[in-house]
Amino acid sequence: MSRLQSPSALKRKRPDSNSQGMTDQERVVYKLIHEKENMGIWVRDIKRSSNLQDTIVNKSIKSLLDKGMIKEVVNVQNKTRKTYLAAEFEPSPELTGGAWYDDGNLDVDFINAVKKLCSQKIKQLKVATVESVMDSVKASGAFKADLKKNHFEEIFGALVLDNEVMEVESNGMGEFAGIKVGKVCYKAIGKRRVGAAAAAAAAAEPRIGAMASIPCGVCPRISSCTPDGVISPGTCVYYQKWLDF
Amino acid sequence: MVSQHGILYAVHLVTNQFGNLVAKVCECLLRDGALPIHAIVRRTELSPAKVKNSLLVLIQHNCAQAFILEESVSGEDAGEPGKAHTQYIALFVNILHRVRFSKFLDVVSKELGGSCGELFRGLLEHGRLTVKQIVDRADANAKESTKTVQEDLHKLVMAHYVECCPAPEPLVPPPDPDAKKRAKSSKVLVESLTLEQRVMAVAMPSSMRRFSFVPNTDQIADDQQNVNQPPTKDVGQKRKLHDLESDPALEEEAECNWRANFEELLRRLRHKACVDTIKVRFDDVAATVLSAMLAASRAEENKVKTANSVPLSLDTIYEEVVKNEKNHSMTFDHVRTCLEELSSPPAFVKTDDESYSIDFAQIVEAAQSEEIESIILKRYGEAAYKIFRLLFRVGRLMETDKIADTIFAEKKETSKTLYKLWQDGYLLMEKLVMGGTATGPSYGGSSFILWKVNKRLLWGTVVDEMFHAAFNLNQRLTHEIDQNKEVILNLPPDKREGPDKQKFDRLRNVRLLIHSSLMKLDDVIMLFHDF
Repeated sequence: MSRLQSPSALKRKRPDSNSQGMTDQERVVYKLIHEKENMGIWVRDIKRSSNLQDTIVNKSIKSLLDKGMIKEVVNVQNKTRKTYLAAEFEPSPELTGGAWYDDGNLDVDFINAVKKLCSQKIKQLKVATVESVMDSVKASGAFKADLKKNHFEEIFGALVLDNEVMEVESNGMGEFAGIKVGKVCYKAIGKRRVGAAAAAAAAAEPRIGAMASIPCGVCPRISSCTPDGVISPGTCVYYQKWLDF
Repeated sequence: MVSQHGILYAVHLVTNQFGNLVAKVCECLLRDGALPIHAIVRRTELSPAKVKNSLLVLIQHNCAQAFILEESVSGEDAGEPGKAHTQYIALFVNILHRVRFSKFLDVVSKELGGSCGELFRGLLEHGRLTVKQIVDRADANAKESTKTVQEDLHKLVMAHYVECCPAPEPLVPPPDPDAKKRAKSSKVLVESLTLEQRVMAVAMPSSMRRFSFVPNTDQIADDQQNVNQPPTKDVGQKRKLHDLESDPALEEEAECNWRANFEELLRRLRHKACVDTIKVRFDDVAATVLSAMLAASRAEENKVKTANSVPLSLDTIYEEVVKNEKNHSMTFDHVRTCLEELSSPPAFVKTDDESYSIDFAQIVEAAQSEEIESIILKRYGEAAYKIFRLLFRVGRLMETDKIADTIFAEKKETSKTLYKLWQDGYLLMEKLVMGGTATGPSYGGSSFILWKVNKRLLWGTVVDEMFHAAFNLNQRLTHEIDQNKEVILNLPPDKREGPDKQKFDRLRNVRLLIHSSLMKLDDVIMLFHDF
């Protein structure tokens, strides 16, 4: 799912109506909201800063919303908090979550699409830098969203955590020839194998360790397990399944 | 300090092999540290004779060591310390080694052959033997000549697989006062570890004596002559006295007990683990080159946990590679390319001015990380796997929201996973309270939860879980055998049919699976505990 992300903090000039059609209390509330520009303000902060009674603040906010002078936005950092912006501002990335959020929710499909494409590019290049992949992805026109270098860095970080690529530093030699010494690069993870095993290696499944291969290794209750307890090796259902040939 | 489940596991091993009495004494020492005999008697409520016999068994099999603390010896009897000051300490690592005997035997037999392997097996079975006992055993079992046995023993000692036993009751000097000041805050913990190390450091003979054995050809000739003569007490004693007076080396050998040198064997298993790790990450060629580097640099290694091997030139490595007939097809360039790949970041081989050295620490850490990540992935799922990898790499405190953003996960789910990992001891948690007003909508709250992987604590948690798992595997095997006792004991093989045969076959498969899992789990225990 591709999206276009427009630059934030656009301010359109409006005719000066602030002093018109607003009560004094509404004016106070609006001023507090407007001061925060594209960062927005939590309703509790409005109440604290204005020193107005809660009911007055709530009434003022409702009135300003009805007049179209302010809008409510989702704060992705804290979805339960009512946050308000002056109508002329676009919410900042801190509020919306940035490129990876759509309407306050993590856009998982978009993220996975970007990860998949970046992973493919890294495999093609064998050794890749953020810049080389970014240029390649942008040139392909696969996404309309205006992804910056920091977005690709975040994606690469996620690929490292997925164990699909590894982060290394160039030593300027061999496969790193042409890349400045010390520059951070990325390599696809996968064993060099010959013949039939290459196909299996290409799946790049993490190897199951010895501890994870036995029931105790993956048991969430191991800390409660004792020889004669309710949970014990003798009564364990995981062992029962494991030994059920 | 041995962990709770480490003690359980060790006591189980001792119980299986030496019985409940010996295990009770062993458990007392493992839980309470070094103790004199009267304290063991009091705590175990066993008779002094039983405690003494149990200690003798443990010492014979290298699972305990006696010693005397210098500071416990008073002025007037400084010349003769006496039994009252003797203490005993359990050797936890040596107890664990008992499940590795088949691995040790495999190492020795592959390198030195069957007859050396057989001699070595005797030392593992009996704990420690004198030369005469080794010769007598070989004669009884396989009718090996004294000459052959002594030559085999010589090979084993020269390869450092066998060593002269430590002193029976060494006098241990007080610890370095500076070390004590540094360890003030964790006095008990550091003292027990240091005490075991101090005891063994003093008890071990010098390197020369430890690995010094020369086949005694005169002894061989005498023994051969005496085969046809009935032994008489006086003759034996007179001959022995004469020999002792005339040959101090023989006197030393006559007193020396020989035992398996676990340190060297552990070093070989560490090498094997490194080769296996490289084989999985690269290929057989890389494993071959690494094996050659290990063989070429082995003689220079002087401890198990060495961080790097000695630097070797490409020529030396190539010569070692092609020593093996199977590798004759490998070219010089082939080896050089392989070394370049191994040195490419993340480097498992370090290069410096045309020489190459193995980075053991890097290889071991890679294997350890893979093992822990595998546990976390299987037990807690993919999100936990990513969280752990993030915090492990970062090595510092990170806030919940930041973690969620980095792994592209919902904050609520991330928080739940973090708490689970923390509850089970995989993460540390710290609460940061910020006073004053909020600086903006992003930081509306006044407290933050921060998370971190503490490697030292984590390793302790993981090792204890591994001991727990090993103990559980043994318990389950016992349970399975108990459940099917009538099939094994009461039914002859030709009467097993239908459901009974199925039960028998199932039990056989259960034993195979559990034994195989125990061996693999032990490899991982060594990876974290010994390598």
